[in-house]
Amino acid sequence: MHKGYLCIVLHSHLPYVRHPEHEDFLEEDWLYEAITETYIPLIGMFERLISERVDFRLTMSLTPTLVSMLADPLLQERYLKHINKLIELAHKEIERTAWQSHFQSLAIMYLNQFYKARETFERYHRNLALAFKDFQDAGRLEIVTCGATHGYFPLLDVCRESVRAQVKVAVSHYEGVFGRKPRGIWLPECGYHPGQDEILKECGIRYFFTDSHGVLHGTPRPKYGVFAPVYCKGTGVASFARDLESSKQVWSSIEGYPGDYNYREFYRDIGFDLEYEYIKPYIHPDGIRINTGIKYYRITGTSNHKDPYAPDWAREKAAEHAGNFMFNRQQQINYLYGIMQKKPLIVSPYDTELYGHWWYEGPMWLEFLIRKIAFDQNEIRLITPSEYLVENPRNQVITPSLSSWGWKGYSEMWLQGSNDWIYRHLHAGCLRMTELAKTFPEATGILKRALNQALRELLLAESSDWAFIMGTGTHTGYAVQRTKDHLLRFLRLYEDIKANSIDEEWLAQIEYKDAIFPAIDYRVHT
Amino acid sequence: MALMRKLKEKLKTIINKGKKARISLKQPVRKQDVCKTVPAQEGVLGYQETAVGTTKFSHPEPPRFKRTMHHELPTGYGQDKIILQVRDPWWLHSYWEVTQGTWERLKQELQDTFCRVKKVIRVYDVSQISFNGRNAHRYFDIEVHPEASNWYIDTAGPGRTWCVDYGLRLPNGEFITIVRSNTVMTPLDGPSCITDEEWMIPEEMFAKLYGMGFGLGQSSPVGKAWQERVKKALFSGVLASPGITSVSSPVRGVPKGRTFWLVVDCELIVYGATEPDAKLTVQGKSIKLRRDGTFTLRFALPDGKQVIPVKAVSADNEEERSITPTVTRETKIG
Repeated sequence: MHKGYLCIVLHSHLPYVRHPEHEDFLEEDWLYEAITETYIPLIGMFERLISERVDFRLTMSLTPTLVSMLADPLLQERYLKHINKLIELAHKEIERTAWQSHFQSLAIMYLNQFYKARETFERYHRNLALAFKDFQDAGRLEIVTCGATHGYFPLLDVCRESVRAQVKVAVSHYEGVFGRKPRGIWLPECGYHPGQDEILKECGIRYFFTDSHGVLHGTPRPKYGVFAPVYCKGTGVASFARDLESSKQVWSSIEGYPGDYNYREFYRDIGFDLEYEYIKPYIHPDGIRINTGIKYYRITGTSNHKDPYAPDWAREKAAEHAGNFMFNRQQQINYLYGIMQKKPLIVSPYDTELYGHWWYEGPMWLEFLIRKIAFDQNEIRLITPSEYLVENPRNQVITPSLSSWGWKGYSEMWLQGSNDWIYRHLHAGCLRMTELAKTFPEATGILKRALNQALRELLLAESSDWAFIMGTGTHTGYAVQRTKDHLLRFLRLYEDIKANSIDEEWLAQIEYKDAIFPAIDYRVHT
Repeated sequence: MALMRKLKEKLKTIINKGKKARISLKQPVRKQDVCKTVPAQEGVLGYQETAVGTTKFSHPEPPRFKRTMHHELPTGYGQDKIILQVRDPWWLHSYWEVTQGTWERLKQELQDTFCRVKKVIRVYDVSQISFNGRNAHRYFDIEVHPEASNWYIDTAGPGRTWCVDYGLRLPNGEFITIVRSNTVMTPLDGPSCITDEEWMIPEEMFAKLYGMGFGLGQSSPVGKAWQERVKKALFSGVLASPGITSVSSPVRGVPKGRTFWLVVDCELIVYGATEPDAKLTVQGKSIKLRRDGTFTLRFALPDGKQVIPVKAVSADNEEERSITPTVTRETKIG
């Protein structure tokens, strides 16, 4: 008989980066890398587990921006081009390393990985969101939604219309793609502001996630800590809080698994290591060295000296770490069961792109973990939040606390000297959007197009990623530019609409550039 | 169990602090002092997430033509307005806009006095009241830079509700409100002191669950180092921010100290030409010729001797030519 539940949540997100106006745009690589290194390995895992009838449950968020990019024909075409170049490079690498059999076997490993990526990509008709839909339809995966463009809700609280628009656009987008309503939401950056659960309720969303202190510091005190969800006072929307112990085992650099010396080193990439003329066709067209994804070394130790990667050792480590993670959860669950007199729920959320992209062996680790939980024990049961609520409908009612999973646990990552200037403009934009939506409740034709585009631009400006990148202080140019571009486009649309002088040619141009959410309805911004 | 006891004590102090709801009126901190750009300090909650998060966006920036924008973002939106938002349990952020017209009106009203006024934000504690401008529990003023249009405010008051005015303080002490903000509530920085009867929980048990929620696991044999660190973080500072310091972080930081370095590697290019329709092998492996009969091979060259037999056979298998370069690499370091 199992004594407790484990809910693994993978939050998958990339900001909307799509530049049809440029032949080649570096930041689009964020998506291509995540496809090859993260999404495809995870899809492989799902396929194996399902075809071998392993019983498991996972929860994943797929943000509307990510799903939109995955479904976009232009980006699909460009991904194929990207993976074909990698295949070509891997062939060259196999030839180049003929006298270094160790590296050659790694080059072959990458070539196989790239072939597999291309094959999977084609098999799902180039749209990987459909793969995840299949796994959801098979009852193994629960896909939750997120803010439409990953706006950071606590700092949009002074204009709840925008929070509402973020949620409503996301919900209808989800329905269009996955053929049902989303039951849960991953609040962008896990950012919760008390009272915003009203909007979730309004949109039919039954649960969300917070960081540990979101529930632990809620009022009144949560009886079961983070080990049972709570219902928000007034709305009854459930809040599931992160368990930091299990998180740290993956995230932390001390006991965290990804830092193991046998695992692949992220920072040694042939894009930087190899001779310039040779690698030039595979880096940025301007000749700037970038990561290619082919990396031959393992972490090895703390010094700069790195030994070649040994896939077998890494695989063994991943299995060992999966065993260790499971053992720790068993201990944790047994202990908690003893003091709670009730089956505890451990919620372990991670950034999906941690797996595979950052922690190369991550998908392998996850698959080992799922198999071990299915076959080697009977104390832990994997569960989704929806299933948990069906089995455990009675939960405490509290008001969770303002919180996020960002740096220091609150809003500072997105509100500091380098990025605080954006809120003046975002909030003003929000007010104006509401004004437009109220002024024109029944727009048609070109006016309607302009209003819809205005909402797209505002939502795109709200993406938390821009503030995040500005906050990290490196390579901030693109993030600043995107924020300004969308705000300026929004402001011009506002003025044109008010003056009844919409420039159709220009409107068509920005519709072409910022083509997200074709079915958007500006009236949700009220 | 010593740990549990300490936790309980910590809990009590937090709870008592909450009950008394003391607010120390710290000296206002100037904006310039508090807003540092690079936040990613190790040892703080969310550090690893931040570090991993940045790898998602891990490209250098190509030089792009500076596009000439039709216009920059406006400096204001023509409305007197002040907005207050919460940064964390202790700090608020406020930005404001006062239109030229309003300044003109104030100048006229105050006449000569206007050049002697101070620009001030007045921070009101309006917890659990409906604020009418006069009934705040208390307030404090922060004199702001005359040109400032936003400010970070140290309230030192988690779990309280706040409202701010931006205005003028006259030489006689009188305060004139120009704009009044929305109200916001700072979150608690520890567990609530309110318990609910139906879901009552003994203090000791809550302390256990509370610690575990922050990763102070009872169960994790590998977590000793982590526990020690969290204990320190927990008892020396902020409860909500237990973090870890990176010892062998796979996140490569800025190298410290002397950073001079040298990397040298060798590759060998083997190239040649034969009849375009000939069959060519290099080290026994058949090689595809270019249309003009030329070929180029590139090898990473390890230390040691490489014998590279190159053999061409004519299309009719009648003729054969062999050339065998031998290359030795020897690397000395020092």
